Amino acid sequence: MQRTAKHLRSGLTAYLMIAPMVILLGIFVFWPLIYSIYLSMHRISFYKDPAFVGFDFYKYVLTDPNFWDTMLTGLKYALFVVPTGIVIALIVATFLKNLNGRPASIMKTTVYVPTVVSSVVASIIFLFIYQDEGLANWFMGFLGVEAVNWLNSPGLALPAIAVPGVWLGLGISTLILLAAMHDIPANYYEAAALDGASAWQRMRYITLPNLKNVLLYLFVTGFTLAIQEFQLPLIMTNGGPVNATTTPNLFIFRSFRDNTEYATSFSLAASLLLFVALGLISLLIFKLVKSDKALDS
Amino acid sequence: MRHIRMRAAAVLAAVVAASAALAGCSSGSGEDDGVAKVTFWQQKFEDYQQAWFKKAVTDFNASQSKVKVELVVVPSDTWDQKLKAAQAAGTQPDVATTNYGRIVPGATEGQFAVLDDLMPASAFADIKDNVKGFVTVGGKHYGYPMLVEPSTVLYYRTDLATAAGLDPKSPPKTWAELLDWSRKLTTDKVKGMTIASNGIDLGWSSWGLQYNACGKLPIASDWSKAAANEACYKDLLDFYRTLYQEKLIPQQPKVGYPDAAPYGGGEVAMMANGSWAIGQLKNSFPQLIAKTAVAPFPSRDGDASKTTATLGGWTLTVDSKSKQPKAAGEFINWLLAGDAKLMSSFFKQSGYSKFTVRKSVDADLATDADATADPFMKIIAEKIVPQGKSEPNYPWDVSLAMGTAIESAMKGTATVDAALQTADKAINTVIEKQALAGKQPK
Repeated sequence: MQRTAKHLRSGLTAYLMIAPMVILLGIFVFWPLIYSIYLSMHRISFYKDPAFVGFDFYKYVLTDPNFWDTMLTGLKYALFVVPTGIVIALIVATFLKNLNGRPASIMKTTVYVPTVVSSVVASIIFLFIYQDEGLANWFMGFLGVEAVNWLNSPGLALPAIAVPGVWLGLGISTLILLAAMHDIPANYYEAAALDGASAWQRMRYITLPNLKNVLLYLFVTGFTLAIQEFQLPLIMTNGGPVNATTTPNLFIFRSFRDNTEYATSFSLAASLLLFVALGLISLLIFKLVKSDKALDS
Repeated sequence: MRHIRMRAAAVLAAVVAASAALAGCSSGSGEDDGVAKVTFWQQKFEDYQQAWFKKAVTDFNASQSKVKVELVVVPSDTWDQKLKAAQAAGTQPDVATTNYGRIVPGATEGQFAVLDDLMPASAFADIKDNVKGFVTVGGKHYGYPMLVEPSTVLYYRTDLATAAGLDPKSPPKTWAELLDWSRKLTTDKVKGMTIASNGIDLGWSSWGLQYNACGKLPIASDWSKAAANEACYKDLLDFYRTLYQEKLIPQQPKVGYPDAAPYGGGEVAMMANGSWAIGQLKNSFPQLIAKTAVAPFPSRDGDASKTTATLGGWTLTVDSKSKQPKAAGEFINWLLAGDAKLMSSFFKQSGYSKFTVRKSVDADLATDADATADPFMKIIAEKIVPQGKSEPNYPWDVSLAMGTAIESAMKGTATVDAALQTADKAINTVIEKQALAGKQPK
């Protein structure tokens, strides 16, 4: 009896401890989500009573070729940014791991700097770099190549805005990988060295398997964030040329700004469908890259 | 325990105090000590406009003691989302700047109050006949017009034209002649001209040229089906495509269509822009004024009587949910429909780059030596404004479909035929999903 009372007391304490978070989640996540689902089934005007239309807006979004085009654009952008960013971060982290003392501190700070740069500032910096007379075209001229229309060419604009995307994410990915690398026991490498393993073999058979869970984390968070990229295309290209850089969030934002009765519910339905799509993509990555316990656990 | 309770009480008190302070800071319309408070959202335009509105509101507030207007300047790129959020929260302004294209849909949705109940009939009698229709739905006025400004005017450098062997007194009259001028004026450092080249800018800035190409816009008159896939529009897309593909216009423009900076900075020899660009040129690039001439934008076949520009412009509207509609009407009446000299001062500050919609202001400007001597104002007022048509009031997605088609043809992602077919399909989809058929306001 006394044991039960103690158990209930400790249970009550636990519920009280998590109550603030549950209440906050309820107010700021669950209620808005439920209300969004409710609103997405109505044609909304702020001057007339909303009219129930069922799943009409979901049908409109799913049959809108622009929605699918923007999803594809988001995926392509993520494919440009995430693997490239992780590979570069892995190389930089490997390099940093072998540095010691002051040079290591200076390099870590340098690599982390882009992370604290606002993406608005990064967009403006890269806008200047990509201009006709900008640094990118100066470099092309140096190589003897004709100036390139970076941001107004439908085939080049998306890779061009992916470059600042990689740059902005590089610092945090590098530091996470570096921390994970430091957690790999040194005796694994010593044993491999005794067996005559090359640098590539040590990377392939020791470093990468031990980084699997961290890489999974970087892939999942990187993909979901990259597909939702909004500021870079908004500032650098405004979604152009010919919608080549219109990511899903930019598409939803533009739909929301439209001042017809149709627009608000359409953008809500598109947002909720994007939410589902991102969940499915994360699930797919989890399935493809199965997480394991650490090898030494 | 007591200590924890006291701390919790202190936190609660702080939250309540902060909420009360925030509520006190928030602005809103209503009545305070017998003074009607009216919120007025002005969309941010050129700097001189903000200064003019600020002074006018201060003067209005000082001129009487019954109504107090609170002016809020809202950047144009955040206007739509800010207004929508305010409407959702019930904190929308009493008075707002509204463009002509929004009057009919807004009136149909019940967004605007009928101004005939709030302003004297004499105010509406002063509006020019060709503008009355822009703010009237079902015989009632839903906005009071402030100005009109043609969306497309041709600006060109007379010195560069002469240097290229062209006669600046005889500007191009057809699209073919304009292409010829552009080719002759293009050098290594200066492009022949600048015009809109992205889908969003093209969506609205090409309305006049869409009228010019086909005599109508790309939708049936009753909004029952699309009409983009017509041969006459091919010439329009070919015209834009040639300008871009032959590199006669900047390939990576740094600014949007409404900004005259590339022309002012000497990067281009000609410019398609709205009449508002005159204000920017006079204020920021005065050295260019003597070397600049304006002309009606060339037409497809050279017929100067066909429109090449829509008449955009701004009105003030009163929200239908306003708690102080009478006071809001009084303010609009004082600002836009009152003393003609007040609006004349606005047009003077604009460098005569915008045009009045009131007969009495026209009469007042006729006595202003600067206005009558302004070479740009004369050409635009006499040759462009009379041919101008009103902006369409169908949903923006229809305009965007056509703008995207022009951009696709320019940048080579689709042939002219394919781009028009895509636009036609997209417009039909908008018609179907938004149930537009038969909704064209009469």
